[in-house]
Amino acid sequence: MRRFAPAFLRTTAFRVTLLSAALLAASSLVILTFVYFASVGVSLNRTDAAVEEEIATVETRFRDGGIQSVNRYILQRSVGGSDFLYLLVHPSGRRISGNLSGLPETGADNDGRLEFQYMRPPAGEEESEKDERLARGRISPLPSGYQIFVGMDVEDEDRLIGGMLRAVLAASALALALGVASGVFISRRFAIRLDQINRVAHAVEAGDMKRRAPRTNTGDELDELSANFNAMLDRIEELMARMKNAGDSIAHDLRSPLTRMRNRLDDALREDGDLESREASLTQAVSDADELLGVFNAILSISRLEAGERRQSFSRMDPAQIVEDLCELYEPVCEEAGLRFEAEIETGTEVRGDRGLLSQALANLLDNAVKYTPAGGAIALRLRRCASGEIELSVTDTGPGIPESDRVRATQRFVRLEKSRSQPGSGLGLSLVKAISDIHGATLELSDGPGIMDGMGPGLRAALIIPPAKQAS
Amino acid sequence: MRILIIEDDREAANYIRKGLRESGHVVDHAADGEEGLEMARAADYDVLVVDRMLPKMDGLTVVETLRAEDDRSPVLILSALGEVDHRVEGLKAGGDDYLVKPYAFAELLARVEALVRRRDPETVRTRLTVGDLEMDLLARTVLRGEEEILLQPREFRLLEFLMKHSGQVVTRTMLLEKVWDYHFDPQTNVIDVHISRLRSKIDKPFDRALLHTVRGAGYRLQA
Repeated sequence: MRRFAPAFLRTTAFRVTLLSAALLAASSLVILTFVYFASVGVSLNRTDAAVEEEIATVETRFRDGGIQSVNRYILQRSVGGSDFLYLLVHPSGRRISGNLSGLPETGADNDGRLEFQYMRPPAGEEESEKDERLARGRISPLPSGYQIFVGMDVEDEDRLIGGMLRAVLAASALALALGVASGVFISRRFAIRLDQINRVAHAVEAGDMKRRAPRTNTGDELDELSANFNAMLDRIEELMARMKNAGDSIAHDLRSPLTRMRNRLDDALREDGDLESREASLTQAVSDADELLGVFNAILSISRLEAGERRQSFSRMDPAQIVEDLCELYEPVCEEAGLRFEAEIETGTEVRGDRGLLSQALANLLDNAVKYTPAGGAIALRLRRCASGEIELSVTDTGPGIPESDRVRATQRFVRLEKSRSQPGSGLGLSLVKAISDIHGATLELSDGPGIMDGMGPGLRAALIIPPAKQAS
Repeated sequence: MRILIIEDDREAANYIRKGLRESGHVVDHAADGEEGLEMARAADYDVLVVDRMLPKMDGLTVVETLRAEDDRSPVLILSALGEVDHRVEGLKAGGDDYLVKPYAFAELLARVEALVRRRDPETVRTRLTVGDLEMDLLARTVLRGEEEILLQPREFRLLEFLMKHSGQVVTRTMLLEKVWDYHFDPQTNVIDVHISRLRSKIDKPFDRALLHTVRGAGYRLQA
């Protein structure tokens, strides 16, 4: 795998946080810039208004008392700690009075406004150094060629505004930096956890089926992903195990009859002359082949059932007819095998299903019961409504039963419990029943039969618990 | 009997052809649907054995086309698809019987021979006779010689089927399908048990047995 940058930089989380940080920084820049210009404007307006008012005062003085009056006023105002800065200029350009030593050559706009640096003389002894500060004001012409400049010291405002400007920029930069940092932090956590899941996927791909994604149990989306991922792996592992088991069992179950058949055909070839034993060998070979075909048919049926196509042919029906037909088919078989046969049929129940499949499932269970119950035992076929409203279709026998520890395995494909290996059969009977049960939405329950008595038992009860057909709506 | 096999799998076709010839039938073979349809139109066959999945034209279309042309030759459809729906589709298309692969040859032979009987004009018979065994389908009574035999309803249907196909082999699977309407093979010998019950009623008290077991195939009712 090629890597251009650390994994976390490529994560979606990182990109999203980075983007939102950039947006945050940009919007705070816009907002603060607006605030900046608004407050700067307010402060300048206030200064300019005060300057205009003072200029008006000076002009009034000039009208009333001429240049002397103005000069007096300015001298008087310049001595004390005035808020204003003054400079009275002679028509020749010479400084007459004021608390400024001069004006910069350039800088005034058409209205005579200007801003400049000036040296504020030290105000007290403790403040010995001269202070360069910002002034803002306006030069206004007076009659007879005199000019008056009135301004104000705006250094403090300027500093404040400058500070604000820096604060705006710093805040935006900080927002961006914090955004990047949190993006890195969040996406690294994200990337680390995703990386763990990816690593598990790679390990599984490489063949380590036992690996599982770590859980944090926080219930967040990544945890949920891990959980789903693990559930999927569990399912795959189960399917693989089943497939392997099926493969092994097919090999085992098909090899023996194939070998038998091969040997019998071989015998038939070699037994020269003895027609009778040759024919016997061939007949046996044919029945071995039939057994093989039976296994194949069962495998096919189960596969088709598991594909679920057949559900389309389901209809509502009373299972009583199915059970009665099977009673009629199997009662003589039980009698022949020295077994007592009982039937309990409740009428008026209704399920949604397929007559053929349900018959086949029950026939399979009855076959098993007949096969495994020793003579003298009993078999019961039941149809009844459970207290829960579900419909029970069950076959109970008094045979050896299936140990509890084997019951789950017994319904898996091809599993033939050790004791039954010697019996004929495909080993697919119960798995076929299970498949039929599954597509009917039913559960297949295996439990003990009536218990141990007369040296028999504990027996097996195999029950399909089918949900009742929903009322037509 | 003249039989046409329409089957694209040469191995399978040869196996069926050989078996049917050995049983005394005349067999032709077509390897695809179009060829099969032409051959079926050109000659008068007693039975057609048609594979469902064929190159050029599928088996069901062949049968439908023949039926649309008013060809009533009995048809046995062979298929790897054994679902009830598929079976119903096959019979709806005009097939007379449906056999799911893989099958035993004995099964195929029994079914082919059972189909031919059907071709006889289907006069509604109310009385069946095999040797001294007589069945009255209206009164639902069975007589052997002078003696009346009492049968359960299902035993009656079983005997009726055997009598309708007297002289032919019927397999256990055929009986399950036609008498019980079950399309699966039980693991136990259910059919044998029912046959032996029937035998004990119609044969045991008498000198001559009518119901014979055909090894590796099934049963035959024959005088």
